[in-house]
Amino acid sequence: MGASQGEHLSLNFSQLFDNKTMASPSEDVSPPDSPASDGSGTMPSPGRVDGSPAIARRQSEDRLDAGNDDEDEDPEEEGEETAPREDDDDEEDEEDDDEEEITASVLTFTGSSKKAPRERRNQFLDVEAEVDEDEDENEDDEDELNELKDNFIADTHPDDLADLPVGGETDDRRHRELDRRREMEASLDAEKQAEILRQRYSKIRTGRALGDSAVVPKRLLLPSVDDPSIWAVRCKEGKEREAVFAIMKRIEERMGTKEELAITSAFERGGTHSTMKGFIYVEAQRQADIMVALTDLMNVYPRTKMMLVEIKEMPDLLRVTKTPALEPGAYVRLKRPPKYAGDLAQVIDVTDTGLELRVRFVPRLDYGLHEDVNAPTDAFGAKRKRPVAGPRPPQRLFSEVEARKRHSKLLGGGTAGAKSWNYAGDEYVNGYCEKEVKLQTLIVKDVNPTLEEVTRFASGAEDGTENLDLNALAASLKASTANASYLPGDIIEVYEDEQKGVIGKAISVQADIVTMAVSEGDLKGQTIEVPVKGLRKRFRNGDHVKVIGGSRFRDEVGMVVKISEDRVTLLSDHGNTEITVFSKDLREASDSGGSGSLGKFELWDLVQLDPSTVACIVKVDRESLVVLDQNNQTRTVMPSQISNKLEKRRHAVATDRNGNEIRLDETVKENGGEARSGKIIHIHRAYLFLRNPSQNENAGVFVTRTTAVSSVAAKGAVTASTGPDLTSMNPAMKRNPATGGDMAPPKSFGRDRSIGQTVTIRKGPYKGLLGIVKEATDSNARVELHTKNKTVNVSKDDLAFKDKLTGQEFNPNSRGGFGGGRGGATPRGRGGLGSATPGGWDGGRTPGAAGGVERTPAWGARTPAVANGGRTPAWKSSGDNAGGRTPGWADGSRTVNPYDGSRTSYGGGNRTPAWSSGAKTPAYGVSDGFAAGSKTPGYGGGGNDTWGSKTPAYQQPASNDNWGSNQQQSNNGWGANSYDAPTPGVNMSAPTPAAMNAPTPGAYSAPTPAPYNAPTPAAAPTPAPGWGGGGGGGWGAPTPQAMDAPTPGAQQGYYAAPTPGAYGAMPETPAANWQDDNQPRYTDN
Amino acid sequence: MFFVLSLTHQVTLHPSYFGRNMHELVTGKLLKDVEGTCTGRYFIITIMDTVDISEGRILPGSGLAEFTVHYRAVVWRPFKGETVDAIVTSVNAVGFFADAGPLPLFVSSHLIPTDIKFDPNATPPQFTNNEDSVIEVGTHVRVKLIGTRAEVGGMYAIASIREDYLGSPANELPDVYKADHEQLD
Repeated sequence: MGASQGEHLSLNFSQLFDNKTMASPSEDVSPPDSPASDGSGTMPSPGRVDGSPAIARRQSEDRLDAGNDDEDEDPEEEGEETAPREDDDDEEDEEDDDEEEITASVLTFTGSSKKAPRERRNQFLDVEAEVDEDEDENEDDEDELNELKDNFIADTHPDDLADLPVGGETDDRRHRELDRRREMEASLDAEKQAEILRQRYSKIRTGRALGDSAVVPKRLLLPSVDDPSIWAVRCKEGKEREAVFAIMKRIEERMGTKEELAITSAFERGGTHSTMKGFIYVEAQRQADIMVALTDLMNVYPRTKMMLVEIKEMPDLLRVTKTPALEPGAYVRLKRPPKYAGDLAQVIDVTDTGLELRVRFVPRLDYGLHEDVNAPTDAFGAKRKRPVAGPRPPQRLFSEVEARKRHSKLLGGGTAGAKSWNYAGDEYVNGYCEKEVKLQTLIVKDVNPTLEEVTRFASGAEDGTENLDLNALAASLKASTANASYLPGDIIEVYEDEQKGVIGKAISVQADIVTMAVSEGDLKGQTIEVPVKGLRKRFRNGDHVKVIGGSRFRDEVGMVVKISEDRVTLLSDHGNTEITVFSKDLREASDSGGSGSLGKFELWDLVQLDPSTVACIVKVDRESLVVLDQNNQTRTVMPSQISNKLEKRRHAVATDRNGNEIRLDETVKENGGEARSGKIIHIHRAYLFLRNPSQNENAGVFVTRTTAVSSVAAKGAVTASTGPDLTSMNPAMKRNPATGGDMAPPKSFGRDRSIGQTVTIRKGPYKGLLGIVKEATDSNARVELHTKNKTVNVSKDDLAFKDKLTGQEFNPNSRGGFGGGRGGATPRGRGGLGSATPGGWDGGRTPGAAGGVERTPAWGARTPAVANGGRTPAWKSSGDNAGGRTPGWADGSRTVNPYDGSRTSYGGGNRTPAWSSGAKTPAYGVSDGFAAGSKTPGYGGGGNDTWGSKTPAYQQPASNDNWGSNQQQSNNGWGANSYDAPTPGVNMSAPTPAAMNAPTPGAYSAPTPAPYNAPTPAAAPTPAPGWGGGGGGGWGAPTPQAMDAPTPGAQQGYYAAPTPGAYGAMPETPAANWQDDNQPRYTDN
Repeated sequence: MFFVLSLTHQVTLHPSYFGRNMHELVTGKLLKDVEGTCTGRYFIITIMDTVDISEGRILPGSGLAEFTVHYRAVVWRPFKGETVDAIVTSVNAVGFFADAGPLPLFVSSHLIPTDIKFDPNATPPQFTNNEDSVIEVGTHVRVKLIGTRAEVGGMYAIASIREDYLGSPANELPDVYKADHEQLD
């Protein structure tokens, strides 16, 4: 046995030697015999057992042979299958581990049941079989087993060869045999070899646990409890890699010595940016091995608590994360010192290890401004440093001048040419602070520099232009927002790697893989998957795009005018400005364009900035607005700074320098200056905001004064454009044409009503004096002054007529209607008062009222307005053209017509007592001189049916009874358009509740009802309120009614027929109401 | 590109127009309403004829009569890539604006040949290559539309003159053609 042992040993070693000399590649090595097999724990490393590898080997061989010596034969194969032992191979990969595991189990098994039945052993043969691929002989299983055992013994370090018996290493018989066989095999042709292999393996194909294929399911490769464990060992932060290198060095040093390290592997995780920094990981069977391996190493602390890594966490430890490579020009953020925390810095230079960088950043210096002069000094006279309190200084480029002021001692090294300074231990170049920093003090991920920050680094070129390194910026930005921005449907282009140049449409996006359907090129029609990082969006000139993402121009919409690489220049829809952004920040826009609004503020709105300043919004940004104020200054404001928005006043009118009306949307031109022209978008007091779309700045908006422009449109163009001339078509007009166009101004008949009136003079040298009219012509009056006995000639327009008794001002030419006119301004409360006084009756006696009765200006006035539109009818026209322009007029003079929906027929509705007057003056105007509207019921009762049915043409004259009122409102308007006549409103107006309200004194004042009601309910008393209207206090009562009642109708314009005011009242005759006496109903109006 | 399209339009007529000449009025109103407008996709240049005027329908509540009018109209739809002639309306450093009939368009300086540069010192300011090509307000230019955009009541386009045969008249005909013409003369 001993001899055979010896032979065995020598054999094994010779085999080992043989393998080595032949440089047998590791693929020849079977998994069970792989180097791992001796690390598997079944056999301790020879060197460690008793310091003598040989003895260790022998011992183990003895042990094994004790059970197996009879099966021990044919050493040749053993030689084939024995792998060289590689003690120093610490870096086993997972597969090795796995195989190792298998081997371990094999060995355990053989150790425990050596006489296993064949079938069971066959299982292991599978393992074996796959090992000796090169073998052609059909071996007995027993032999294989023996072989295995022998392998263990044979696994000897080359150094151990020295311990071999003499002749062991020189006996090369086996070698030669092996050589021969190899040669023979090599000479066989491939087919034969394949045949042999098939024969050999065909019967054992089934029942394999592990295939011999290269592909092994990953989960089977995962570590198990039988594998060496991994411990996390503390080390100094930042020194992880160094520690691992030190371990490697130690392994090399001790390889083959007695103190060989028993650890399997050692590694560190992810360097400085890992969350696991401060640890290295060591793989070994026993914790004690690690302790041995790591003692006395620098920066590693094996004596502190080691952490055992759980098995399921082991694979994660080896997961590779790519660390972003920093290149000069890239942007990073500083973490330290606190003063600069979060500040952007630019990488200038990177050391080879990538662990240290030179960066530059904008310094935050106060040059000792806030230094505590009284701070205690230490022994060396240096001030003790105190933590900086308060806000850190703002970012400003280094200033030599500032530094010299207080700290000239600290400043040094400056050369004017180099612009490089040393200040307080730091180096400043071109105003930036340059510093060597460690990678771990930087934030390199998700830097997201804003354009504002980056522009600080934009070194101004000599010509003053800023050259921004967009490429570096792009690189910094790309990493952060790479994947978020692709959507299915985007047209994308691959610009990197193999598929470079492929263009297609994104179909789906999953994480950072985009599936795209290729639309151009060789791959057309195919669907490929590409990683996001090599992608960019593709646009073409003229595409309508919207800016998305983090860009400053977010939400701008515009058209692409230029594309270079991934930078796209677009022309913004608003304001005609050009913007350059990265294509990743763009998206195809729907045709609708951007909102152009921020909250309630929209482009071109007029806003009030402070009580004296208004401005027009010329640009809407994401968070701010740019406005152009009335002083032609542009400023940026936040929405919160705007006190309110001024609604557009559609009817705002101004006059240009020639006195012509100008309105919104008209085109005007500046006189003088740059002679700019534009469309009026706002009129505010004397300022015009104009817009000229072809102007570039301020979105085409500019401001000017009304007096500086002149209207470009022909005079009256606006009115002409309101629609076709209805006059020519109205059948009513045709039947009763207003012959001769304009009606002559009405003549007053008989004695001039102003004669004998008390007047005050309103203008001229006699202004303010009181007198009595002695004589009068149409336009002038001779007034006998009270003050001195003198009679002067004054224009009638300059007279104010006073009531002799009350001193109340009135218009002698008005009929009762004047009361109506006034009524608009009269509060209800006054009516109440007035009605309680007999004054109402007094009013009735006023000449004005009386005169009105006789005069029927209604008739006279008839249609002055028809053609004369703008003029006040009749007498007023003589001297007072201004009346024509009163707003009331203007409004009234328009018809509402369906082609011009924006205007209301009685636009001035609220102010037009005319309505009321019209209402009660059914044609008979004559008798209804007092027109206060209140009396109508009487009439209406009599004939409202008739009136209602009147032809418009007929009614027209009746309607202009408002005459007297100085605020000639809508009735003139009436005249102005004969077509108004047919409006239902007019017909309805007779029975308006207003009329019925009139007799309801109750509503207005308690005392009155009795007197009013007492008289016959019929017409007789009705005028009374109307008179009151003429007189003063009393008229108050009816007036509001007159006002109120028609208003709803009026406001609703032409088609107001269905208003309750008009229609609702319609069925009931006013008379009936009058008698009913149930006034409250009407007061509801 | 110009097209003849069959279109319909609803015309409403005020009651006071009701009468014998109602159809004329409807037609007149149609012209007034429709001619020269922009739908967002095309401009209606002119109405050729009305094919059919439906019976009027009184709209409840207002008394207006509504007619459905079928008519044929010549429309112009500017297309991307279409070449049009335009008249320059304003010139500034970033480009120039021009009107192609009803269509205002903008030619960015990026889309102007590099040799034609903005000259702010000229009066009026102009784009010029200091040779034969001068683009100032009033110049006729031939441009190629590269993008159009619809706005409320109008359209807007971006155009380019950065191609052969585009730009101001001097650029329109390359020398070869000029030579040809001379020979012909």
